[in-house]
Amino acid sequence: MTNPPQQMTQQNEQKLSQRQFFFIIVQTQIGVGVLSVPYELHSVAKQDSWISLLLGAVAIQVLLVGIWFVAKNFPHDTLFTMNDKMFTKWVGRPLSILYIFYFIGVGTLIILLFSRMISIWVLPNTPLWVMALLMVTVCMYMVGGGLLVLGRLYTMLSFLLVFLLCLIIFSTKETHIMYLFPMLETGWGKIFAGINKAIFSFFGFIVSLVIFSKVEGTNKQKLKTIVMAHWFVTLFYLFTVFASFTFFSTSELPLVPEPVLYMLKTFSLPIIARIDLFFISIWVINVATSFATYLYLSSLGLSDLFKRHSQNQWIVVVGICVFSISIYIGLDMSKIETFNKVVTYSGYIFSLTLPLIMVPVSYLRKKKDKGGAS
Amino acid sequence: MKKYLIAGIVSLLFLTGCWDERQFKNVKLVLSLGFDQGEEGQIIQTVSIPSVSRATEGPGSESLQILSTSAHTPLQARGKIDRMIPESYDPAKVKVIVLGEDLAKQDIYPILDDMYRNPRSNLNAYLAVVEEGTAQDVISMNHTGATRISNYISGLLEAAVSSTHATGENLQLLCAELLEPGIDFSIPLLKIEDDGNLLTFSGMGLFHDKTYTGEKIGAEQTTLYMLLQGEKGRVARLTKKIDDHGKDEILDYITVSVAENDRKMKIENKDGEIAVTINLDMKVKIVEYPSDHLYVKGRIEEIGKKLSKKLTDESVDIISQVQEANSDVFGIGRRVKAYHPEVWKELDWREEFPEISIEPKVKVEIIQHGIIN
Amino acid sequence: MVGIFLFIRGKLRLGDANMGIFTRFFRNNRDKLADRHMSEPSNEKERPSSKKLSENVKYILDAFHQSNDLKIRVLKKGDAALLYFESLAEHEKIHEKIFAPIEMGHTEDVFHLPNAKQTNDLEEVVRTLLRGHAIYMEEGKKEISQFSVTSSFGRTPEEPQNERVVRGAHDGFVENMMTNINLVRKRVEHRDLTIKYFKLGKKTNTNVAVVYMDGIADPMIVQEIETRLHSLDSDMIHSPGHIEEFIEDKSNSPFPQMLNTERPDRVAANLVEGRVAIMAEGSPTTLIAPATFFMFYQAPDDYNMRWFTGTFVRLIRLFSFIIAVTLPAFYIAVVSFHFEVIPDELIIPVKASINEIAYPPILEALVMVIIIELIREAGIRLPAPIGQTIGIVGGLVIGDAVVRAGLVSNLMVIVVALTAIASFVVPSNELSTALRLLTFPLIILAGTIGFIGIVFGMLFIIIHLTRLQSFGVPYFAPLAPLSLVDLKDTFVRLPMYMMKLRPKDAHAVKPIALNPSREWKNRDEQNQSKQGSGGNDQPSSTDDTTK
Repeated sequence: MTNPPQQMTQQNEQKLSQRQFFFIIVQTQIGVGVLSVPYELHSVAKQDSWISLLLGAVAIQVLLVGIWFVAKNFPHDTLFTMNDKMFTKWVGRPLSILYIFYFIGVGTLIILLFSRMISIWVLPNTPLWVMALLMVTVCMYMVGGGLLVLGRLYTMLSFLLVFLLCLIIFSTKETHIMYLFPMLETGWGKIFAGINKAIFSFFGFIVSLVIFSKVEGTNKQKLKTIVMAHWFVTLFYLFTVFASFTFFSTSELPLVPEPVLYMLKTFSLPIIARIDLFFISIWVINVATSFATYLYLSSLGLSDLFKRHSQNQWIVVVGICVFSISIYIGLDMSKIETFNKVVTYSGYIFSLTLPLIMVPVSYLRKKKDKGGAS
Repeated sequence: MKKYLIAGIVSLLFLTGCWDERQFKNVKLVLSLGFDQGEEGQIIQTVSIPSVSRATEGPGSESLQILSTSAHTPLQARGKIDRMIPESYDPAKVKVIVLGEDLAKQDIYPILDDMYRNPRSNLNAYLAVVEEGTAQDVISMNHTGATRISNYISGLLEAAVSSTHATGENLQLLCAELLEPGIDFSIPLLKIEDDGNLLTFSGMGLFHDKTYTGEKIGAEQTTLYMLLQGEKGRVARLTKKIDDHGKDEILDYITVSVAENDRKMKIENKDGEIAVTINLDMKVKIVEYPSDHLYVKGRIEEIGKKLSKKLTDESVDIISQVQEANSDVFGIGRRVKAYHPEVWKELDWREEFPEISIEPKVKVEIIQHGIIN
Repeated sequence: MVGIFLFIRGKLRLGDANMGIFTRFFRNNRDKLADRHMSEPSNEKERPSSKKLSENVKYILDAFHQSNDLKIRVLKKGDAALLYFESLAEHEKIHEKIFAPIEMGHTEDVFHLPNAKQTNDLEEVVRTLLRGHAIYMEEGKKEISQFSVTSSFGRTPEEPQNERVVRGAHDGFVENMMTNINLVRKRVEHRDLTIKYFKLGKKTNTNVAVVYMDGIADPMIVQEIETRLHSLDSDMIHSPGHIEEFIEDKSNSPFPQMLNTERPDRVAANLVEGRVAIMAEGSPTTLIAPATFFMFYQAPDDYNMRWFTGTFVRLIRLFSFIIAVTLPAFYIAVVSFHFEVIPDELIIPVKASINEIAYPPILEALVMVIIIELIREAGIRLPAPIGQTIGIVGGLVIGDAVVRAGLVSNLMVIVVALTAIASFVVPSNELSTALRLLTFPLIILAGTIGFIGIVFGMLFIIIHLTRLQSFGVPYFAPLAPLSLVDLKDTFVRLPMYMMKLRPKDAHAVKPIALNPSREWKNRDEQNQSKQGSGGNDQPSSTDDTTK
């Protein structure tokens, strides 16, 4: 029959569908940063930074093909077991551990930025630990269901992205295309410098490398999904960038770190006078989905490395780690900035450099394996 | 393990308080704020605090408390006022901010900084300037009718917007124009009349950069002024004198209602000289024309031509006022920057704007004339 | 004990036989018998009958602990006996069909009665007696005849109180399982309708039936249900609610994981969709598994309306879910954290309403919600006229007085009343209770950190719903996992002829539910569509549940 009955005992081994893979990538990338992407970009190349965004997207696109190339050589491995096979146990293990640290770092950064945003915009007196605790526990519960539950959940919650888009569209009734001009005012040098910032906002694509083997379908289909997800995110960012660049003038934008929210603050609906509160509430869910992915990745890594315990125990461990680190760093602006820098620059190593190194290594490794077999 | 964890978290949440709780019932609402120039660089802040008492049936009775204090900054003033009332007041629902004329003639951004910085503030509020008077007078006005002053002013301004007299820009929309070079803005003017019993909309005050120039477009001309900016409210009516019969004055006038307006601005760069043409094409309906006889052939076209000429003349007048005030409300400077960046760099727009040539061309086409000829 | 013997003697005297042997026998052995019973476990083993009538009778009497309603009639001058429970058997039948012919000597006729059955096993006799059969034994014969003369007192199938419909069938299940199966069988006249009996409850021996369509229902799910039923080991099973808790996946969840219904048409429809029904003797409620969250929002009425109305009603119901869970929390978050979201026009009326209330809103809300629950709980079991009075006194009088006294703001009364109404919109009583319970944590979260708290609470609920499974089927289907095709009968109710595929969450073996049925609409193309109707209904989506 076309519909074979499901194996009830083998729930965990069921693979993700293409659609779920797509939304996992999208939801991981669109997270805490979406509110400030226009500001970050604008800080370098002014009104031309949408060009930087596009150029950055193209650069990432090339990298994604590389990642796909690496992943398809190991059809049954996660990133962590891949490391072992590519770099031997002695290099691979420590590398995996570094990756796990990186994921925990990103998770902590998400928690910190999220708590700071909530503290600035909604609840100025609520202590950090409340926000961190709520976020970490809810996400621990989410990740505890396994990758499949994440996939299902992300797919469903993506309806909210449409909602966010609608809210932004609502605010575009006061746009001035004029503000995008003069084009190329800052010059190509700045625009290229802006690519840097653009790439920051795309970090999170690394998830496609880690869970590649847990997705059903041919390699070609998976590549298509990865590329589609990437361009979906690019378009989403481009849209928010355009919306805020045309709403705020060039001299106003440097004053507004969260332009998307600020824009919505201006308008009111007949039932809800303040849309920004509404927006930030939905955005919380997007933050939760990206944090949950990093929680998943790091706990997956730990359980792959130390096979002794189940992943659920590692989830608790990672959750407690993230919570303690974020409490330790606190909401101090300069500390968060330093931490932010550390994490984003290590992102260069873990999300850009290492995957690029893996491309030839994995190719050679595969060739060697083939040679050995025949 | 999991259960204890959850139980622990829940009890932690219970143990702690509600850090950001702000009970609405304990807050004094301020719906209208007024700022005036005080002595020695201080500002005078005036607030009206409505307090309502509950009635078991029907609407409760309402009383107003007007408080005024002088301080160096708006927030300092707020602190002072808080000391005068039993609970603290909250400007999160401010509907109108009224500025005294003297204060408006200085940089207005510092007054509004708190509004822009506070995440709770209402950026949807209207801004208005009091002509020949103080904000204190307006806020504490003993107007007839039972509505609150905030409702009164915002209603007045909303009516002005829908009848194409004012732009209806709120605080946030003004912010861009406040900060961006090459765009200026205008703010509705209010005037107290009838010995403090009546408030009228008396025109649009022209701002240069961040200060009020003292020049204004009179209430009679604001409709055309708005149309020249390319904005139209729900209705835009123009009453103009087009004939000169001599006997009955009223027969000389015509009122048209604008059905469609299409404004195009053309900026030309002639060797560093900026020349601007503003084309305003309107399709109008005649809604009042006592001298009738519209069935006469060619009469409608003739009226159209007369109107076009009349409106073009008035536009020239408006533009000269704007240039005199050096208030670039049309955003010509920003357009020059956007489309002729090389020219913009060489110009000092403040100096240049009053000198450039701006030529308005109004074309009126009559498309309807009601149910009689 | 003396009383029992007096009673039995009296009974025996009625039968015009020589009862001397029996009475003497019982008297002599009564203490010994009692002892033996204490030591003998209630056994299910076989026990061959003896040729001696007295031994058989003694065994049976012992098995029932000399129960007074077990009636013994001595026939053929003490050579034969007829035993039955007067509380279970029908007197008329016994008299006409068995007693009279035997007395007249036509013994053979009796044994050829269609309801007669022979056995040698005394244990089986004990069981059949409990089922209401009459037992005929003769001296010197091992065979014991059983006659089914059960009397049953049942309601007639009438419309269930809590699942009324405007249009459609007005019958409902009753306490008798045979009647219930009869009602279902009449609706699904197909040989694939399979019924499997189980006996649950060591002491109650409740008959339980698992009903499914073989060839449509997923055999894995049927097997899973059977396994779980088999592993149920309890003394008493008295209702499907009882069974539900034993076999459901997560009993720590507020959400019901099996659908309860008393409507045969609903059961029939679900069976054909590929689900499994569990019925129990003595209760009109039937369980349907696997269930999904959105099944609880479907009412039989939806399918009797025009599809526009059906869709509209369904959307209203789903909207009521959001109101029931979040409205009080939302209101509290607004008045104690984010009053700036109140529109300008409403700000003064709202302020006026809550200005002089003594208690914080969170307390107000909790008190009001509990009052509503009190009123509901007080009225629910009372006879209708008193119940109404309670409703009026509680709802109108208290509600009004509490506002006048200034204890609770009238806005809060509106909010809480609206929430209560919204929670009753759900067609299923179990889910409605679950929703009302969920309001409380959300109220507390909203009272602690406002909107953000509500978001976290809702997120938690959604995660829970996504993680939940009912017999291996995702509970929140078709939203998570998303199946766009199945939204046709979830948020909307498309016309029946468009529901070509069975819902995926039922895991039906045959996905196609109907072939093109409106071909008469394009008679010109009839030939073409006939050719094409064979293979155009393949399932299209590739969601994970189908793998």
